[in-house]
Amino acid sequence: MASPPLGPKRANVTGRNEINVAERFELSPTPIKQFTLQNGLRVILSPDSAVPVVSVALYYDVGSRNEKTGRTGFAHLFEHMMFQGSENVPKAAHFQYIFNAGGTMNGTTSTERTNYFETLPASHLPLALWLESDRMRSLKVTQENLDNQRNAVQEEKRLRYDNQPYVNAFLRINELIFKNPANAHSTIGSMEDLDAATIEDVQEFFRIYYAPNNAVLSIVGDFEEQEAISLINKYFEGIPSQAGPPSVDTSEPADVARTQEVFYDQLAPAPAFVLGWKIPPRRTPDFYALSLAADLLFEGDSSRLYQKLVKGDESVVSIQGGIDERRGPSALYIFALPKPGEEVAAIRDQIFAEIQALRISGPSAEEMEKLRNSLRNDVVRGRQSTMYRAQRLAEYALYDNDPTLMDSELDHYLSITAEQIRASVEGYLDIDNRVVLDIVPSALNEEAQTEAAASPQPPGEPQQPAAPAPQVPARPPAQPATDAGGVMGAAEKRPEQSQQPADPPQQTERGSGPLHT
Amino acid sequence: MTNTQPEALKQPPPPLPPRPIKLPTTSETTLSNGLLVVVVADQRLPLVSYRLALRSGDAHDPAELPGLVDMLTGLLTEGTQSRTSREIADEVARLGATLQAGANSDYTTVAASSLTTFSDEILELLADVALRPVFPANEVELTKQNTKESLKQQRAQPSFLATEMVAKVMFGAHPYSVTAPTPEAIDATTREKLIEFHRSKFVPNNAVLVVAGDVDHDSLLQRIEDLFGNWQPGAVIGDDFPAPPTRTARSAYLIDRPGSAQANIVIANSGITRTSPDYFPMLVMHTVLGANASSRLFMNLREEKGYTYGAYSSLDARRTAGTFRATAEVRTPVTGDSLKEFFYELGRIRSEPVSEKELADAKSYLTGVFPIRLETQEGLIDQLVQIKMFGLPDNYLNTYRSQIQSVTREQIQAVALKYVRPDEAAIVIVGDGNQLSEQIKPYAENIEFYNTAGKRKTKGEASSAKSATFYVGDWTLQIDTPLGQSIPATLTLSQSTNGLSGKVESEMGSGELVSATVDGDSLSAIVSLDVAGHAIEANIFAEVTDNQIEGTFSLQDAPALTFTGTREKTAEAPAQS
Repeated sequence: MASPPLGPKRANVTGRNEINVAERFELSPTPIKQFTLQNGLRVILSPDSAVPVVSVALYYDVGSRNEKTGRTGFAHLFEHMMFQGSENVPKAAHFQYIFNAGGTMNGTTSTERTNYFETLPASHLPLALWLESDRMRSLKVTQENLDNQRNAVQEEKRLRYDNQPYVNAFLRINELIFKNPANAHSTIGSMEDLDAATIEDVQEFFRIYYAPNNAVLSIVGDFEEQEAISLINKYFEGIPSQAGPPSVDTSEPADVARTQEVFYDQLAPAPAFVLGWKIPPRRTPDFYALSLAADLLFEGDSSRLYQKLVKGDESVVSIQGGIDERRGPSALYIFALPKPGEEVAAIRDQIFAEIQALRISGPSAEEMEKLRNSLRNDVVRGRQSTMYRAQRLAEYALYDNDPTLMDSELDHYLSITAEQIRASVEGYLDIDNRVVLDIVPSALNEEAQTEAAASPQPPGEPQQPAAPAPQVPARPPAQPATDAGGVMGAAEKRPEQSQQPADPPQQTERGSGPLHT
Repeated sequence: MTNTQPEALKQPPPPLPPRPIKLPTTSETTLSNGLLVVVVADQRLPLVSYRLALRSGDAHDPAELPGLVDMLTGLLTEGTQSRTSREIADEVARLGATLQAGANSDYTTVAASSLTTFSDEILELLADVALRPVFPANEVELTKQNTKESLKQQRAQPSFLATEMVAKVMFGAHPYSVTAPTPEAIDATTREKLIEFHRSKFVPNNAVLVVAGDVDHDSLLQRIEDLFGNWQPGAVIGDDFPAPPTRTARSAYLIDRPGSAQANIVIANSGITRTSPDYFPMLVMHTVLGANASSRLFMNLREEKGYTYGAYSSLDARRTAGTFRATAEVRTPVTGDSLKEFFYELGRIRSEPVSEKELADAKSYLTGVFPIRLETQEGLIDQLVQIKMFGLPDNYLNTYRSQIQSVTREQIQAVALKYVRPDEAAIVIVGDGNQLSEQIKPYAENIEFYNTAGKRKTKGEASSAKSATFYVGDWTLQIDTPLGQSIPATLTLSQSTNGLSGKVESEMGSGELVSATVDGDSLSAIVSLDVAGHAIEANIFAEVTDNQIEGTFSLQDAPALTFTGTREKTAEAPAQS
């Protein structure tokens, strides 16, 4: 806490309408050292001695989008296997080494990538690198461990999806938005596909995707740069590279796969609905604009839909939305929980009317000011955590080959004009080319009763794998990617109490890890 | 995977020399009205965070109004003497800032954060909502409606049902037994009750304001004096609560959730308060037993057995009471096997001293993760607020690591013997009752059955999910009044697209069902009654057995009336939409 001031100089605020943060807002650049080992492993270093901890993030370029038909859920199951032992690290010892050194760790899987990360007292950087390199070099796979982790993953699926109201509908909607199976299926996968996974699948997957040339290592925290470089060389240099993995086709037609469906939910206590749209890939101008449009529509108490439906009409109990940010075609969702007795179709019409209003008139000047200040606030706040920075740096390096986006992506968002936001709504938040998924409590529906008991699919639909649950809502620049499934959930705060001063810190990453979130 | 490795890679590497932890320095000032101000300078980023904390929480809800504090905190940002709800929302958004209030059992917080540029403005907003809320009637009404709906949503969550039952069983007459409001309490909450609670409990001499950020100390204090200096002190009422019950035997509480995909298991014992001298030994014991993924419970139930995604213990130590719990969500057929492993581990932590390695590992974990939580302003403020709210020593952060280091194996076994008491445990399980009772029987002689409404079931057999036709028909009811009269009524239930619809007709009034939810063999419905030209909402809760129905009927603000009835005509064809 004793580092020199990095922030802008404080200025007198003389009046509400004279605030112009942009002119006075400058953050010192994030120190970034990047290099590539001979085996192709990309490395990002960013030293910061404010707190004596170090965060290590290892990102592999493999997610559910790389899965083959009939093997859905495999990238995530594999992530669990990465904690089951390697040449020099016994089964489950990874957890123990990290925790016993006073660290926290997890791994998560999304459509785009699988990540592994740990924060440790700064002196334990060698341990983190040894553990990560040992499993990259020499993962050990046994039938017993595969069976055991299959069980753990199936319980994770039951815990986080099948035993929760409304959640499986979020998996279903991706199957209605996307036509390409690479985009449509869920990260958690299907029970049947998980059952079908074999040892040979695991070994093949490891060889293809867990090569150094398919990964990014980033380290942020209290370390000496030269020391870190020599440790990285020592532990990772000898791991051989592999032929590049097969390319992924995530291309999509403009139309959604299906515009309307009813989802019978055995656990939902009341009807609800989800709307979904297909939107352009991340880091495109339209994506930035739509992210901001989404903020205006449903982010926070000042948002248009909250003010219209929760406050004005008092017709919904809650309204939330989110964006599933991907390298390929992405998605935007809105979830509404109507009040009892309210006409669901009328609420939908109101949502469409609000979208139309944004399409016609665009954001107001006040709304643009709000967006810009929120973007800046989120970016600065996110930087407090070394783990947050390690994850963003690795992500930008992996997806964009440019970790300096850590500092510069904000400018892309800030450069978006009101007209671009308006135009993006016109271009993509189409009233017709969208999915409407009605969620009906199946306990109250005779027709659905027998079918729903066996599966969450509506009658007559082919049994399909599901798609990742969006983390709703997600702010574009300050939130990590949407994830589904990991090795553990974060140790939950079980009794509904605030954290004890002595309890472990919160996870940086949302979503699930190999442990708990 | 066959390349030969250098010897150096075969063993875990030794750590580098430790780097010093720079603990933050705080400065404390008390205003003349008793408000304690704690400031931590943090110049790393152009950010500031504020948190006002008051030593009144959910445990201080009036006994007849559970949930009042939660509703009150939600309403602080819904209108002040000078701002409407909308103006508050817009202003916070315009600053790109955050402002929110919340409560736990022991204390209430109002938190705000922003870029340093807006530090004065966001603090003024915080002061406005904390000190001058007006609880507008329309906002109170909306909050009441939405709280009732949220309650229904919460009851669909198995973890909520488990927590609710654990609290009820473990805390008895102590207010920690209450985890959620009741629909009746929500109805009975008024603007006047909120204003009264705010007036009596929101006083500066019961509060602390913690600030962390890139601030100028003197001008900040001047600003705080300007904004909070006129806040009038009041009487501070202590925590005078009945003691939680003493458990003398093991019993199980099975909440039947038909169709549940898993069984949620919680095994609970009475625990310690946050300031108990046993706290640090308990913390280390908990770390060995179940705090994380290298603890015994996780290693056994997940890594060895594959029964669950995670098994943990939890040390729930609050200001005036606490529990110690072991929890897991397991697949239903291995619920009995999981109980076996839980009780094996709970027995082992008592009967054998933990190993030297386990002790060292647990200490290393606890002391190592300690600085990680000081990385963010929020994390740091969390610590400082808790020190003040729980009455921990001022040097708590400085002595934390040495307190952990001083715990011995003997102390760990002593607290395990004292607080981990399998023979007195409450076993709470939420899941599909039909598949569970036989599995639980070997572990508890006494099993109480409940439905998801929290209502005790008289019969031991669990029910299965019922479809709408189970309820559909014309029911003839007799409603009992407190004066011993019996009022005839009819309840007509039919199937509609989204579930059940229907109507009630009686001498008291008639009207349509606004909503209906079913759960197993029970039905909850809201009916809008036309009583002499006035629309009045009533709640119906009923249990159905074949052609018999019994339940309660409650009008707003009135005690519930019981009824019994029979079905005259059974299911019609489902209505087509």
